[in-house]
Amino acid sequence: MGIWILLPIFLPVIVGILLLLPTGAGAAAGKDQSPQGDLEGQNSQGDSGSQAHPSNGVQESWRIRFARMTGTFDESPESLSRLHTLTAAALIVSALLALAAAWSGDVSFTWFELMEGIPVYFQIDDVGRLFVTVISLVWVLVCFYSFVYMEHEGKERRFFGFYLIVYGVLVALSFSGNLVTMYLCYELMTLTSMPMVLHSGSRESIMAALKYLFYSMCGAYLGLFAIFFLYQYCDSITFTAGGTLNLALAEGHTGILLAAIMASLIGFGAKAGMFPLHAWLPTAHPVAPAPASAVLSGIIAKAGVLAIIRVVFYIVGADFIRGTWVQTAWMTLALLTVFMGSMLAFREKVFKKRLAYSTVSQVSYILFGLSTLAPTAMEGALLHVVFHAIIKSVLFLTAGIFIFRGNLSRVDQLEGIGKKMPKTLWCFTFASLALVGIPPMSGFISKWYLAQGALEANIGVFGWVGPAVLLVSALLTAGYLLSVVTNGFFPKKKETGGHLTVHAAAAEAGNADSRETDAADAVAARNAGQAITADAQETDPLDGITEAPAGMLIPLAILSALTVLLGIFPNPLIQFVSKIAAAVL
Amino acid sequence: MEFVQNFPFITIILALFSGPLCSILKRRAAKWVNTVMICLVLGMSVATLLFTLQTGEAYVYQMGHFSAPWGNEIRVGVLEAFMAVFFSVIMLLCMLGGRRELAEEVEETKQNLYYVMVGLLLSSLLALIYTNDLFTAYVFVEINTISACGLIMIRQNGRAVEAATRYMIMSLLGSGLFLMGICYLYDLTGHLLMSNIKEQVALLAASGEYHIPLLISITLMSVGLAIKSALFPFHSWVPDAYGYSTLSSAAILSSLVSKGYIFLVVKIFYRVIGFDVIRESKVINVLFVFGVLGMIFGSINAIRENNIRRMIAWSSVAQIGYIYMGFGLGTTAGITASLFHILSHASTKSLLFVSASGLTDVSHDDTDFFELTGAGYRNRIAGVAFTVGSLSMVGIPLFSGFISKVLFASAAYDTSGKVIPAMIALALSTLLNAIYFMKTVIRIYTPPYRANLTTDTRVIAMSEQPQTAVVLMLFIALNLILGLGSQPIVNMLTQGLGMFG
Repeated sequence: MGIWILLPIFLPVIVGILLLLPTGAGAAAGKDQSPQGDLEGQNSQGDSGSQAHPSNGVQESWRIRFARMTGTFDESPESLSRLHTLTAAALIVSALLALAAAWSGDVSFTWFELMEGIPVYFQIDDVGRLFVTVISLVWVLVCFYSFVYMEHEGKERRFFGFYLIVYGVLVALSFSGNLVTMYLCYELMTLTSMPMVLHSGSRESIMAALKYLFYSMCGAYLGLFAIFFLYQYCDSITFTAGGTLNLALAEGHTGILLAAIMASLIGFGAKAGMFPLHAWLPTAHPVAPAPASAVLSGIIAKAGVLAIIRVVFYIVGADFIRGTWVQTAWMTLALLTVFMGSMLAFREKVFKKRLAYSTVSQVSYILFGLSTLAPTAMEGALLHVVFHAIIKSVLFLTAGIFIFRGNLSRVDQLEGIGKKMPKTLWCFTFASLALVGIPPMSGFISKWYLAQGALEANIGVFGWVGPAVLLVSALLTAGYLLSVVTNGFFPKKKETGGHLTVHAAAAEAGNADSRETDAADAVAARNAGQAITADAQETDPLDGITEAPAGMLIPLAILSALTVLLGIFPNPLIQFVSKIAAAVL
Repeated sequence: MEFVQNFPFITIILALFSGPLCSILKRRAAKWVNTVMICLVLGMSVATLLFTLQTGEAYVYQMGHFSAPWGNEIRVGVLEAFMAVFFSVIMLLCMLGGRRELAEEVEETKQNLYYVMVGLLLSSLLALIYTNDLFTAYVFVEINTISACGLIMIRQNGRAVEAATRYMIMSLLGSGLFLMGICYLYDLTGHLLMSNIKEQVALLAASGEYHIPLLISITLMSVGLAIKSALFPFHSWVPDAYGYSTLSSAAILSSLVSKGYIFLVVKIFYRVIGFDVIRESKVINVLFVFGVLGMIFGSINAIRENNIRRMIAWSSVAQIGYIYMGFGLGTTAGITASLFHILSHASTKSLLFVSASGLTDVSHDDTDFFELTGAGYRNRIAGVAFTVGSLSMVGIPLFSGFISKVLFASAAYDTSGKVIPAMIALALSTLLNAIYFMKTVIRIYTPPYRANLTTDTRVIAMSEQPQTAVVLMLFIALNLILGLGSQPIVNMLTQGLGMFG
């Protein structure tokens, strides 16, 4: 019976691989990219798409027929709509299967033995259920958004291929039932999500992808290091609520075990953007396409959280690290990251980078909640997993709309945007309020539980330092998100007819360009410079920008509505997460 | 005695005499004789393996029915037969994968010579695997060295000749030390047959006599073989020898020749000296330190390398380091891990060499890193194969490299005092591996127009070179078999090691 678990894992992976397979025309895949989706690039895509590859004549017929069927043959509109239909169908069917598998009861399934005593083993429990539900929800909605957005980036076939594959891997990650299976899925997730970062193929994006890869892999190896140790000292590597650490065996080896656990916290914390391995987030996000940023921040950063939950609460057991230096160090790192992320976000001018720093800060809220090892704070952490996934997706999707419509990547370009795109900015406003934690929005609930849990927990001075840092960070969050809202709806009066400000902005952009300190900054600045020089003749820099198309707005609106609704009706969710917390603490 | 018990001897002789036969045949015929010979060796080795698995014990085969201590012996168990099977599989794939390069790069008149060398090499490898006589081992070590030199310099450009000379000098130094070690041991024990030496060494160790000469002998043999198998810091010949020789030579040298010597080290540890004596001699601690250093320095040099062939060669230095680190752990689990890593590295490294050659073919035949931009699109199967090889080297689960790392880690756990350095070395070298292999994978999948390269490079479709494509697929399959079905293989290695001593 359990073999059905494999279906939602393999269906998207197989369809994704089919989309990636070289087709007759796709042999030119090496040539058909377009930088930033400009018009010239679009044309060349069309050209290379329509020329069939001259060699291997016989084989091509079935390949091309297949490619035409799946919409991967060329970039014509009919092909694209086929591709979209196929992707959407595959994703929805797999999401339904995954949810059905998740909510049909506790199932476990041993697929095969990798080595003696190390099976590839899947098991469904409440944590997995929670994660798989959030992942499926966000993944499906963001997918519909990307159908529109990716017109602007091009190379849809590759994007949706990897998008599907990563979904399968994430489902596998949520369902994985022991440490080695989790590690396997974790590595595969890094490898398969990397192409989404380097999507545009520019030098900056490749460097960013490499950075992402090395931070993630470095983190994963720290985790693997811990897994080797835990494998020796644990009764089993199967996830069991409360932990499987054999205390008799661990006697006398506490020091090394704690060091290994700390290594795994730092290592898996890399994906979650925890200091000191957080630096990939602000580099990878600005260069990735907006939907990719949304899922990287919203979902994939949470995979690090999932891994930490699994190691700490399902293998080691909370009691083993309670009161040790590991807990202190973990809490310190998490709080440091919360504060540092907010500060960096506050002074960041590139919009997507600001959101990336915000992710750094917000995911560490979750980690702080976990690090207190107290039930209420853990409930808050799990709630924040759900809320932050949804909220951060909304924020990044909004940023994507601004780029899609007007190539507006810097915060100061968004002045007065509320007049042009009121619906988009309203969605952004709701999500911002939720992230700041204003009742009755969802973020309030999770932060309430986090702060209350920290106060209740027996963690000494952190009991009040923690909530204080969370509060300060919430203020900063308000500062960096709501300033966008106020400027968007109520632009400041232009002092000297706009020209001076335009020149100042252009000069600033030029400065940033010549410094070249940060590649992503420079790109953004150059974009800004172009936009500004183009707009210099016109009076209003936002001229010609209209409301986002419905295909983008609808997923955005659904997600924003969720940020509110989950805040007003949080009870089922709270009951669910308290069940998880009660089981492990 | 069953007929199948003759097979090990027959395979050695068959390989040995196929060489001279190739030298007088036409080029095309020589090629086929060579292939058929390797296939026959493979078939007979499989039969031997099945036989030993069935009987469950090792047997001794006396050459010419002269009994010990005068006669010469072959000793065959599960481990030996399995290694013979594996070596002949890799040999076959390397020869098939490098055949086109051979025709292009080597003068026509020299090509027959190549098959002569390959025949001699295979026979010496088989002899090293099977022999139970220390002096016979030495003789075949020399045959191995000579034929390996021939393999390197068959492509007669300046760099290859220089590389062959360097290899020759280092390798002869190694053989010399090994020979001196054997002489000491012969003086001490009066025997050349391995089992007899072991009895005597056990007596010597028990009585405590001749402690220092025994130690010197062990050291000389270990160092000699370490030089020959390119353990850090005796690795200086590796990058040139693997980087500038023809493709099948590089693949064979890195995946088989060094492994033959390493297998001899295992044999000396278990069958000649006895593992307990070795453990007490502290030689393994030295091997451990050099193994760990090799893991780190090999990878660092690989990161700094801009030539893909030389990069893979440096990675070999690191992987040899892994194997010696496993020996250095001083436990049977460590040896098993090392043996598994021999298999894993042999299959992965030859895969990498063959696929890297496929990638350079579509990049103006240039091994420079920069020229490879986008090569993965121009030769798809080679790109996929290189990616698989890289992932395996980096140690992603599903591929063979991960299993050897797990085996090393759990073996290290059982030792006292070595667990922390071993773990740190494993983690660090894995990370370094990731840096240079993933860098290359991204490079070959970067669209070429980004780097302002001319796009007039060749494109090779799979149907153009079906043979290479099939070889690469077989290599990938081998890697996945080792990665997914490792348990039966590890069991076989453990069983073989049990009947080895």
